[in-house]
Amino acid sequence: MQEGKAYVGNLDVTAKRARDILLGKVPLDKVVDWATSFSLWPVHLTTSCCSTEFAATFSPRVDGEQFGALPWVGPRQTNLIIIEGTVTKKMACAVRLTWEQMPAPKFAIAMGACALDGGLFYNSYNIVKPWQVIPIDIYLPGCPPRPETLARAIVTLQRKIRSKKVASTWVREGWRGDIEPVIPKEDLCGWAAKSI
Amino acid sequence: MLQAPSRDYSSVLGLALEKAKNALSSKGIVFSVEEGKGFYDIIVEREYLVAGATALKEAGFDHVVSLTVTDYPKEKKFRLVYHLTSYLDYEIAGAIIGLGVEVPRSDRPSVPSLTQVWRSAEFQEREVYEFFGIEFEGHPDLRPLLLTPPVAELRPLRKDFVVREENIYEGVPKSG
Ligand code: SF4
Repeated sequence: MQEGKAYVGNLDVTAKRARDILLGKVPLDKVVDWATSFSLWPVHLTTSCCSTEFAATFSPRVDGEQFGALPWVGPRQTNLIIIEGTVTKKMACAVRLTWEQMPAPKFAIAMGACALDGGLFYNSYNIVKPWQVIPIDIYLPGCPPRPETLARAIVTLQRKIRSKKVASTWVREGWRGDIEPVIPKEDLCGWAAKSI
Repeated sequence: MLQAPSRDYSSVLGLALEKAKNALSSKGIVFSVEEGKGFYDIIVEREYLVAGATALKEAGFDHVVSLTVTDYPKEKKFRLVYHLTSYLDYEIAGAIIGLGVEVPRSDRPSVPSLTQVWRSAEFQEREVYEFFGIEFEGHPDLRPLLLTPPVAELRPLRKDFVVREENIYEGVPKSG
């Protein structure tokens, strides 16, 4: 009988090593960040009246597509949520569900005074602040903010992704380093309610 | 140019009120009429609500345009007013007559639902149910409409519901 050797490898370890070698190289890191920053596709999730300015941002005058942002319908093909104004509790449920469906790396912009701290609806019984629902990258004040402001926010987010290497960190580590993940404390959808 | 035929709405309103009164008194229903600026509310007792609604429907008031509720915490009552008008009866179309009922204020106040008479009252009654907690007996689908269940449990539009007042310095660390 001949003596031989059997080579047994752990596929997970090998895959992780290959990934580290590939992504650890500086050029590929940069490519991931560059590509993500110029393909920020916001999902069409209209929470409130700021959406009129959102529409104006992607109309011919300001033309958001020149920055590489194109509103798209399905959450599975997008990687950016622009929260357009007030978030009621029922809508916060939808925001969170959309966020869970989006593929990583994903980002969020909170738009309008209402999304910052309640704005017009401050102290209402039916409002949540978006930062209690999903992690927010950029806040823009205004009621509503002008289209130029939103365009500027998108450009700022692109700069942030490239300078802080957010996307490549996310791909490598499974989560970006610079923001804490957010888990909503309230029962937004009302799934735990008993009677009513 | 086409012109709508001119109508004198105050006389239409008077005609509609006459029609409603005749319909109710021919059925032997006790009611009182309250007059406001440009509107009339017919107030009936709770046990006459469904009978009165049926009589008004037969008189030509074929849909509910809105349902309002007022909370009177001192007098311990709610007042519901169904606003009725007509599409099909040209004589009274455009006039709005209120059909009101008073409900004693308690934890679970309830009135008979008028969905069996006017189907257009269904969503209005669901909205009243979630904001004031008034239950409608015989409603086909009594669920919250606009609010999520945890918020609807608070009965947010009752006058004794207190919104938490936030201090503007809340959460800001004190310095020096
Ligand atoms: S910030 Fe102003 S425009 Fe935007 S959602 Fe709030 S109220 Fe509407």
